[in-house]
Amino acid sequence: MSVKIEVIVGGVPHNKIMIAGFVCTLVCLYLSYLNVATNTTLFSFFGGLAAVAALIWGSHTIKVLCSYGIGTGVPSAGMIAFGSGIIAMLLATKFNVLAPIVAVILGAIIGLILGYLSNAVLNMKIPAMVQALTEMAVVGALTLMGFAVLITGSFTFAGLTTGSVKILGLISVPSYQISFIGGGLTAVAFLLGAIAIQHPFNACLGPGWKQDRMLMLTAECGFLSMIVAAVMSFAMVNVVAAVISLIVALVCWGYTYHQYILLSKRDAAAWLDSKPIPDTEGH
Amino acid sequence: MSAVAAKPAAGGAMNPTAMVVGLIMLIIILAIAWQMAPGLGLMALIGVIIGGVLVGFGVHFVPVGGAPAAMGQAPGIATGVAMLAAGAGVAGLFGGAWAAEQGIVVAVVTGGIGGGLMMAITCMLVNFVYVFGMGIPAASGKVLKDPITGDSQPEYKSQGTEGHGLPFISFVGGVIGGILGGAGGTLIYIQLLNLYKVTLPTVLNASAADVLPVAVSAAGMFAIALFLVNAVLTAYNITGTIEGPHDPKFKRWPRAIVASAVASALCGLVAILIVTI
Repeated sequence: MSVKIEVIVGGVPHNKIMIAGFVCTLVCLYLSYLNVATNTTLFSFFGGLAAVAALIWGSHTIKVLCSYGIGTGVPSAGMIAFGSGIIAMLLATKFNVLAPIVAVILGAIIGLILGYLSNAVLNMKIPAMVQALTEMAVVGALTLMGFAVLITGSFTFAGLTTGSVKILGLISVPSYQISFIGGGLTAVAFLLGAIAIQHPFNACLGPGWKQDRMLMLTAECGFLSMIVAAVMSFAMVNVVAAVISLIVALVCWGYTYHQYILLSKRDAAAWLDSKPIPDTEGH
Repeated sequence: MSAVAAKPAAGGAMNPTAMVVGLIMLIIILAIAWQMAPGLGLMALIGVIIGGVLVGFGVHFVPVGGAPAAMGQAPGIATGVAMLAAGAGVAGLFGGAWAAEQGIVVAVVTGGIGGGLMMAITCMLVNFVYVFGMGIPAASGKVLKDPITGDSQPEYKSQGTEGHGLPFISFVGGVIGGILGGAGGTLIYIQLLNLYKVTLPTVLNASAADVLPVAVSAAGMFAIALFLVNAVLTAYNITGTIEGPHDPKFKRWPRAIVASAVASALCGLVAILIVTI
């Protein structure tokens, strides 16, 4: 039996964060379905918001799991989350409008079995292991689906594998190379998400850990990844839609970054705004 | 109990019931694949399982030092399993993917060489940094004599540490681990690529040349994902750090074989279902 090193003192309980993250992610993913209803790609930015909501939930799950001292480093948890998540997400895209729900179910099944393997077969015996790996696979799948929506405006298999190339700016020819999967953007989305999920707890852990500071850092990392994904979306979606995504990402990143700095100053033991060394005369 | 004493609980003991449950799960997944995608799909799944097991077994050889190694208090490369395995696996995968058109044997061997080369370079430069940068000799804390060279170890070990640097046996272990990991990753990639090349044209209703980018990217992504899942499960098995094949923790490999086989089978089944449903 391992011993829990840190306990959550105060703050929002994990279950509340889990439910809020889950609901927000699904709602945002389905709001992006307005793209299909209105036949535009203007609502793609909801994908990015879904990804950030899932990341906030996931980083708190990593906190729950890694407080037990699993001995393999925090990044490994992010890697297994996205490794199992991407597999669930790619199969789920085959189910068209049901894709987000199928991603949740498939992710949960894969995570549950991986959790059982690590706890029973590999003899880890960590109480939070099964639940944490289950949540993490779901988070990985939903985050990737969010980035996929942000970049391509769609979460269906056809939408992720088919793009179009304009020849001489006039004739539009379907192409599989210019697509989320065919163009290898999956790999970029994978690491953008993995970095955003593993960094916050890795950066904030320790005796001075504060829940709101870590979650704000997660939001900041998520929006930072969203900026990159929004830039990539210029290749796939309408220019107006991509600009909207980019502006949403930039504004939210600026706000969360500012808030994170404020929280860091609040938690710092003694913080001194040291000005640059003044230029004195004679130098 | 203090944080220092709260070491991970995973001991060396096997859990026979769980192993049997794992094997039953493996058989069930193979049966599902046999029902849903007989022939090509099942063959691909078996290839994926072999590749995953190679990755899981190979990671045991890699000298993973983690944070203690960075401070010169334990032997090994100073980073976590996920980073090292991803590095070796992706290097091997890239090598093998270039040779994919020359047949499975050439591709898998090339992938193995790519992974082994990456680990050899990493191990050598890590030792450069240890010896010339940090000024510490290579000494193992787990054995009295290096099993390959026969060099005596305890004289060079600093007091209060578990050894430091990268002894020769760890170097050899790293290269073997890289070879197994790279070969396993490439095998997963080739199996899925061959399956997707045949089935994707009918799924997407397009010509084989058109869907090639989708087949290559999807197979590559699945190979990396499977690699990471197997590497992290193995990291859980060895609970963080290992010195190499001479470490007592190496004896835990049968558990990782079962876990890797089930995990690869599960993820491989999902990857195959994409083109069959």
